[in-house]
Amino acid sequence: MITTILQLFWSFLQIGFTSFGGLSMIPLINSEMLGHGWMTATEVSDIVAIAEMTPGPLGLNCATFAGIRVAGIPGALAANFGMLMPTFTICAVAAVFFERFRDSAVLGHIMTTVRPVCIGLIWGVILSLCLENYTVGGAVSFRSILAGVLGLYLLIFRKCSVPKVICAAAVFGILFCPGQ
Amino acid sequence: MKEKFLRALGLYAYFFRIGWFTFGGGWSIVAQMQTDFVEKDHTIDNQELLDIVSVGRSLPGTMIGNVAYLFGCHQCGVLGGVLSVLGIITPPLIILSIVTLFYHSFQNNLYVARALTGVRAVVAPVIFSAVLKLQKAETPLPKYAFYGLCAAGCILSFVFHASSILVVVAGVLCGVLYHGKQSRKNRS
Repeated sequence: MITTILQLFWSFLQIGFTSFGGLSMIPLINSEMLGHGWMTATEVSDIVAIAEMTPGPLGLNCATFAGIRVAGIPGALAANFGMLMPTFTICAVAAVFFERFRDSAVLGHIMTTVRPVCIGLIWGVILSLCLENYTVGGAVSFRSILAGVLGLYLLIFRKCSVPKVICAAAVFGILFCPGQ
Repeated sequence: MKEKFLRALGLYAYFFRIGWFTFGGGWSIVAQMQTDFVEKDHTIDNQELLDIVSVGRSLPGTMIGNVAYLFGCHQCGVLGGVLSVLGIITPPLIILSIVTLFYHSFQNNLYVARALTGVRAVVAPVIFSAVLKLQKAETPLPKYAFYGLCAAGCILSFVFHASSILVVVAGVLCGVLYHGKQSRKNRS
């Protein structure tokens, strides 16, 4: 039991350090799960679909699913902790570095150009989410677009908070959207 | 000491509250932080939030974990960082545990599928409304350069599928050039 938990921790630690968010980690998750015999190939693709739908980052959701399947709640905690190790090491060092050089001219100038590039990155995320979420099996889904437009109206003109809009969208989905 | 601990606990409570609404790869959390910290509480400004997001996105690991750590650390040291991360991951951990236990009934439930279709439809608008406000970040750059860099970042990631770290590194290189130009200007 202890060895399985350590193996889970080690696997997800490797996945964490070599992934930079999003779908880039799927091949590695796939080979780790199949290599240890923890999941079948269909289970991996199922869990990727579920992990993308439910709230939470994809990597952590996969960690929880695989962890519980293999070794219960302790397994889930170990896998999550492994997945978070980059944050507690690399990111922790970066945070110290960043606080110390915050006022230096070089870092100031670098961040001046990184900020707009980061905004461009977010625009890229929005565009790919639109491509994904406003189509059902290749065809444009007008109900989803209507939900999106209503959400945008609530957010920008009625200044509704994000949780309220997400809950409203779930209700809209239950009433009007076809399930896939 | 006690006061610092209470502030760190407050961060845990905040991130626990918004962690239930982590959609779109964590970008909806960035949107929430924009409204809560930049617009309402003025704890950080748009520039600082963009800095945190750029650094968090380009480091390995889970973006939203990195972003929560950097923000918590900025507010209240290492303890604040760790508790912020734990706060943001607790809700997904609870939800996924339940989903895993009821895997088959969840997978085939029509109402769950419908609700999630609805939720997915508003994720892009949520992020869109945040990016509109983030674009108002103060910058010494002329307008054409600022929006040119935005467009370049967007095209690199969306059209050419460049990884975020490459895009941020390209931004850093532009920054080095910009620094060279500014220091030459200051010298003359």
